[in-house]
Amino acid sequence: MSLLVTAILFALIGAIVFSLIGLISGTDETAVMVPLTLLVILLGAPPAAVFSFFMAAVLAKHLTHAVPTALMGIPGDTTAVPLIDHATTLRRMGMPHVALRKMISGGVIGAFIALPTAVVLGQFLGQFADFFTSSAGIIFTLAALLIAYFSPGKWVSVLMIVPFAFFIKSLDLMSFTLLDKHLTISFFLGIAVGPMFSDILFATSSTAKRSIERTEPKEYHLAPETKAWKGYFPNPLKILTGRQKFFTAITTFISSLTFVFSPVGMTSLMGEIVGSRTKGAYKKSTTSLTVMNGVTESTYIAEAIIPLIAFGIPLSPVALGPASPLFNAPPIFTVEPVNNLHTYLTSWDFFLYGAIGLVVATLIAYPFSMNYARKASVLVMKYVSQEAIVAMFIGLACLLAFHEAQLVGIALTFTVAAVGGLLNRILGIGAGVQFMVFYASSWIMMTLFGF
Amino acid sequence: MSDKRSERSETPTHKKRYLEILGDTIVPNQLLLSIIISIAISLGGYNLGLWFFPSIASENMITSYSLLLGITGTVLSLLFCSMIFKPKRILIEEETSFESMREVFEDLQLDAREELRLIEDDSITQKELEELGVLEHFRALGGEEKK
Repeated sequence: MSLLVTAILFALIGAIVFSLIGLISGTDETAVMVPLTLLVILLGAPPAAVFSFFMAAVLAKHLTHAVPTALMGIPGDTTAVPLIDHATTLRRMGMPHVALRKMISGGVIGAFIALPTAVVLGQFLGQFADFFTSSAGIIFTLAALLIAYFSPGKWVSVLMIVPFAFFIKSLDLMSFTLLDKHLTISFFLGIAVGPMFSDILFATSSTAKRSIERTEPKEYHLAPETKAWKGYFPNPLKILTGRQKFFTAITTFISSLTFVFSPVGMTSLMGEIVGSRTKGAYKKSTTSLTVMNGVTESTYIAEAIIPLIAFGIPLSPVALGPASPLFNAPPIFTVEPVNNLHTYLTSWDFFLYGAIGLVVATLIAYPFSMNYARKASVLVMKYVSQEAIVAMFIGLACLLAFHEAQLVGIALTFTVAAVGGLLNRILGIGAGVQFMVFYASSWIMMTLFGF
Repeated sequence: MSDKRSERSETPTHKKRYLEILGDTIVPNQLLLSIIISIAISLGGYNLGLWFFPSIASENMITSYSLLLGITGTVLSLLFCSMIFKPKRILIEEETSFESMREVFEDLQLDAREELRLIEDDSITQKELEELGVLEHFRALGGEEKK
């Protein structure tokens, strides 16, 4: 009983914190999820509560990041990028609130379809777990190749796999010599805060600075207030038309099964397929937004759950990015040997504690976005400065790195952040590729150099 | 908002004082100071915890409590930095009107009559737009083009 209460409590924390973070536009998923999830794990939360926290955080963030996407036409984060065009059309027609309602209703439905689907599929794939874990090294390497090819940088990412593995392994050896233990969290943090850190590096370089210099503060256009429903908790099923419910159900079910593809890719693909079958600008935009936000949600949830249940090793873009602490957060969770949520929770636990997270997030973030979207974004825009946000995440990264390995940890984190961040920003070698190479680096170096 | 604009017009040729970090504008010196404050308070809190908690907490909880103290510091630094450094954003509260709807149709090269027909053919969508009170806008636009 007390475990249930703890799980609900952590889900509440996740839902509230990430409802607020979602309102800050442009926050990078991985940079935000990784440090905070690590924190919860390192603080000693029970595995079930960690999982509830994570699920609540993911759903809450996606429900509120729809707010900047719909009201200001700027993507809440990278997963919201494909939705911008349709959201902008509705916003310009004077119906941003319609865009918002459709998006978050689709998201809620997608989440609740994805959870059972992913648990069943994870359970089924579990029979191949021995094969997957015993040949993890080569699988990570092949997956790195695949993810690299589909990253924004494409061939350069493939080309950089071996050099980046060499880089990682060298740092690993160096820190092992200094501390007599292998570091993980510091590497993770480095990859996660890389893009943010590379912007700061740009700012300090007298040559690179020019590309980010601005003469005026950034302008944000906020759509007017319109509330068109009664009560506090509008039923998400009533907000969607029958056709929209049908398409959302089908596409979110399919995208729960394709857990190895990137959420952004699946979102664009499914949105395109459904959009092209819908006529009329209004209907097309609303239906696409519903489906796309549903798919983002379902891919996200499935990509975290399926590898967790089936293998215990991170084999999907989300498992390598935002969900990576659930697999690997030494000394509490490790991948080699597998000792993480996979070992601590049964499929039923995943379902139960996942459902707790989703329900709590829905109860908090859904009515919040529906009723206070505009007021909340005005507050955030007016009173929370970007300086403070960036500084907070840098401070958090330092704290966690210091916790793992004192000053060596901090030095390692910012070395990885500098290299990884610039590779990411300039060459388009995404964080997912870098995480995958991190896991594959031991096998690659062993195979190439026998060490 | 208006005083921000006048402040800028007084120094029109002022150097490019803003930098764009993670999609939003900041003032470099303020960011540097914020980062220093944030790191100092976070690590300060953590180390204070490592020094203080051994006297009151059981041994296996010391690092967890210290981490908690560190994160409290990080959150405090967020509040503190937001207070001393105000956001550099210009917030324009829009009033979208029927006029801009016409612009949207022109920009997207949409046929307003076709759009109206598709909406009226679909009773569910028609009802939805009616409840939102925007069906008339579509009707007006579609009817206009007929002439």
